[in-house]
Amino acid sequence: MFASPYLVYSLIFFLFPLLWATYLAFTNWNLISPDYEFVGVQNFVQAFFSESVRAAFFVTYKFLAMFVPIAVIGALCLALIISALPRFKGLFSVAFFLPYLASGVASAIVVNGILSYNSPFNIWLRSTFGLDINWLGSPVLAALIIALMMAWKFMGYYALLFVAGLESIPKDVYEAARMDGAVGWKKFWYVTIPMLYPSFYTVTILAVGLMFGIFTEPYVLTGGGPDLATHTWQLEIYQQAFERLHAGYGTSIAVINSIVTFASILVFRKILEVWGAKHGWE
Amino acid sequence: MVGNSKIKVTLLYLLAFTVMLVMVFPYIYMVLGSLSPWDQVDRRIIPTELTFRSYEWLFFGGSDVIARPWLRAFFNSVFVTLASTILMLVSALMVGYSLAKLKFKGSRFINNVILFQMFYPAVILLIPLFLIVRYFGMYDTYWAMILPKAVNLWAIFMYTNFFRGLPDELLEAAKIDGASQWKILWRIVLPMSKSVTTIIFLFLFMERWVELLWDMLVVNSENMLTLNVLLAQMFGPYGGYPGPMYAASVLLTLPILVLFIIFSKNFKDGMQFVLK
Repeated sequence: MFASPYLVYSLIFFLFPLLWATYLAFTNWNLISPDYEFVGVQNFVQAFFSESVRAAFFVTYKFLAMFVPIAVIGALCLALIISALPRFKGLFSVAFFLPYLASGVASAIVVNGILSYNSPFNIWLRSTFGLDINWLGSPVLAALIIALMMAWKFMGYYALLFVAGLESIPKDVYEAARMDGAVGWKKFWYVTIPMLYPSFYTVTILAVGLMFGIFTEPYVLTGGGPDLATHTWQLEIYQQAFERLHAGYGTSIAVINSIVTFASILVFRKILEVWGAKHGWE
Repeated sequence: MVGNSKIKVTLLYLLAFTVMLVMVFPYIYMVLGSLSPWDQVDRRIIPTELTFRSYEWLFFGGSDVIARPWLRAFFNSVFVTLASTILMLVSALMVGYSLAKLKFKGSRFINNVILFQMFYPAVILLIPLFLIVRYFGMYDTYWAMILPKAVNLWAIFMYTNFFRGLPDELLEAAKIDGASQWKILWRIVLPMSKSVTTIIFLFLFMERWVELLWDMLVVNSENMLTLNVLLAQMFGPYGGYPGPMYAASVLLTLPILVLFIIFSKNFKDGMQFVLK
């Protein structure tokens, strides 16, 4: 009886739309007109040859290559700082977590301001180094900026996962390592890092998964540009289905997106597992 | 040796403090930008004087442009987020409790389905969900923003795990005393899960508060928009008014920050469970 809210919800808002989506993906419906046709795999063929879908596919891996290392290493550094502090651990972990509270819209507005042509930062760059950089106009920089924004937002959260991992390392492991002469960097590489492997695994998979669902930051800041350099899956689906009203085609892109996401995460899990097993970590 | 470690600790605090400044810098920039005179916004980091002109523009409109319904949007955000979060919390409490403690037929199956659903990419449901909402006549109403976000799988998962750890004896005793399951849930189980509830509430609230895509899709008329959506839409045409945009950003960020700081005492305890 208590489970009924879940059952009703899943039926209306999960199972039914799931079936509908599967059907829609094979139609040419335009979201408005009452009639539409079953077009078979035509949508999928069209998506395969579409420039913007291909852009979304590669942009995601570009974001991944930028965001995951920055976020994971950054979070690890934050966690090491927090756990090394003798006091005020709570204060600093809360402070590092604050960016997680930011709405992507608000942070996009701030980043846009900081990078605007006459901002103190750009004036300083021009006057000191003679650098005149069009930050959001450059494909590589625009993507990097969005990756950094995401890293800023999620680092503190991931750091908490690492802190929990660090705290769960039993003291006697360090004690035993010290007996064997592992101190300083040696201790870090041969004790801390292997013992942190489970947290490392979780954080990496979370970070990878996140990259397949980016919408707010590029929508507000770059609109997917320049030259589709920040055009994500979500943006592509949104534009096809709700701006160009190709509901059927949009759904088929969503299906492709799901498959790509699923497969990519599986591959990353496998890589991490094989890599962990090779080093004898669990 | 002692002096050396003292220096080390000082350096460590210095480092921690610097990192903290970097992490909160965008917030500081936003607040200062919202209080700057309009000719200094994005021109100086620290303004020479402070003014509330941007906030006045936001709430009362300016002479050159019509004020947008920011206050209404703020109210919409609060209403939608609160309603949706409370529904998610209550439903997760009920479902989590029933899955963990009331062993009924099919509960293991439901557990597995929930896990599957959690990892299922939600994006595939976006378009059909929109169609369902439209079909039921909920388009452009609060219902469209609340009902499809009334149940949260992650919250159910968290509560189920937490309730599994609660001792059965206590619940049995209450049952023998004649308490109904409903009463047990509210009078015994809920008070025992305070810290976990706070954390789940915070995360649900945060996530709901910053939702953009869905709220943008299902609502059209200006006085129904949430603050997040209104800000995202106004940012283009009113980009030439950065001051008010910062003021609106502050308005968008402040409630969540305040909420978080109020509950930050429970933060550490609760997080320890959530992160496990």
